[in-house]
Amino acid sequence: MSSRAGRLVIDQVRQILAEVTGRAELAAIPSQTPLFGPGVGLDSLAGTLLLRQVRDRFGVDVAAEDLNLDALATVATLTAFIEERTGEAEPDGPDRAPGTGGAGP
Amino acid sequence: MIKCVIWDIDNTLLSGVFLESPDQPPPADPDMVSVLAALSARGIIHAIASRNPPEAASYAAAVTGHEFAAAECGWGRKSDAIGSILGELGLASDAVAFVDDEAHERAEVSFALPDLLVLSPEDMADAVGWPAFGPAVVTPEARRRGTMYAQRRRRQAEARAFSGSREEFLRSCATAIVIAAARPQDVARLHELSARTHQFNSTGEQVSEASLSALIGSAGQRVITVRLADRFGDDGMVGGCVIDVGGGAWTVTLLMMSCRAIGRGVIDVLLAWLAGAAARDGAATLTVGCLISDRNVPLRLALAGAGFRTRQVAAVGVPSALFSTQLFSKQLSGPPPALPAWVSTPDPS
Repeated sequence: MSSRAGRLVIDQVRQILAEVTGRAELAAIPSQTPLFGPGVGLDSLAGTLLLRQVRDRFGVDVAAEDLNLDALATVATLTAFIEERTGEAEPDGPDRAPGTGGAGP
Repeated sequence: MIKCVIWDIDNTLLSGVFLESPDQPPPADPDMVSVLAALSARGIIHAIASRNPPEAASYAAAVTGHEFAAAECGWGRKSDAIGSILGELGLASDAVAFVDDEAHERAEVSFALPDLLVLSPEDMADAVGWPAFGPAVVTPEARRRGTMYAQRRRRQAEARAFSGSREEFLRSCATAIVIAAARPQDVARLHELSARTHQFNSTGEQVSEASLSALIGSAGQRVITVRLADRFGDDGMVGGCVIDVGGGAWTVTLLMMSCRAIGRGVIDVLLAWLAGAAARDGAATLTVGCLISDRNVPLRLALAGAGFRTRQVAAVGVPSALFSTQLFSKQLSGPPPALPAWVSTPDPS
């Protein structure tokens, strides 16, 4: 259950990213690609839409909890942030980046 | 403050129903034409949400003699049409009014979008005198707003058809950004930006013209303006900031950018210029004080993308920082970020 749910979250995050940027190829983005880096270049418009979709679909308000928006570093960090808050975390799962989540110490 | 009025067509903008007399559609409603004119003169823009074919919107524009920044014609829910318009124009629902003669349409929109001001045509005729429709200052930028949104539609249509990168698109548009020191005659527009911007506003507070004038003249303070133009049109002053430059560090105490500049790289350029100018001035750190609110998340995204960080970290599940001001800083070691070729900075920094 948790493993399946974990994959679902990361797949949904990728799907949302592809939708808000209008770039279908991002539905297959590697989980460790920096979202603010040159490859994706997440701008404030697409980023706002991404955060709104995450809030609507998962009930997780990243902007309210993560002042530095570290959760938006990669698809993996955003997925971990969502899973920590929705109880769908899979502690040793393959999609989870170590030491991330943007929730502070 | 209302920035945009979204209009129904049948028995609202027109004195009758468009599709009921296809050979000779009804004329414009004279009362609503007066309202359109009065609001346009104050810098309020207009849009259409109608259960009609798209040609009804062109017809309404022709007979009323007014430009509509967006038009959604179809047979879906009005609240969905309005949602699309808000997205296209980059507006929040509490900055928009909706006018429709049908009570059930008004009820549907009120239920789905409770922040929106929903009015009958009769109420709209009265509402022209309400404070929500009367900005204190009307600048040249405000009066040109309707035209600028029409330019924006043409720009967005070309952007969708463009196959290259965003930088290539901005270059192909002959984008020109000018970052300059504020002059005394800029205070009206700077005040207006402080009152009207939300998504890219670091404080959420209006700044009076008197305060801005005083800041322009003070030692240790710099007031900066940002102007934007391209081959689609001249947007005038779209942003500005106030910087405390005393004590070997630069601290931005106010940063604001119009939503008409969204997606055109202006906020990123301003943050990059600030980093370079602060470094040339000998500052080791550039700091932006930013109110944490649900309205200016786009500004925080721009700060995060440009490498600014705050030390304050909220606890898990506790949005305790909401409505506090946090300091987002960037160390200025290493070479300053490069500015695109279309940015000019006429003042020595």
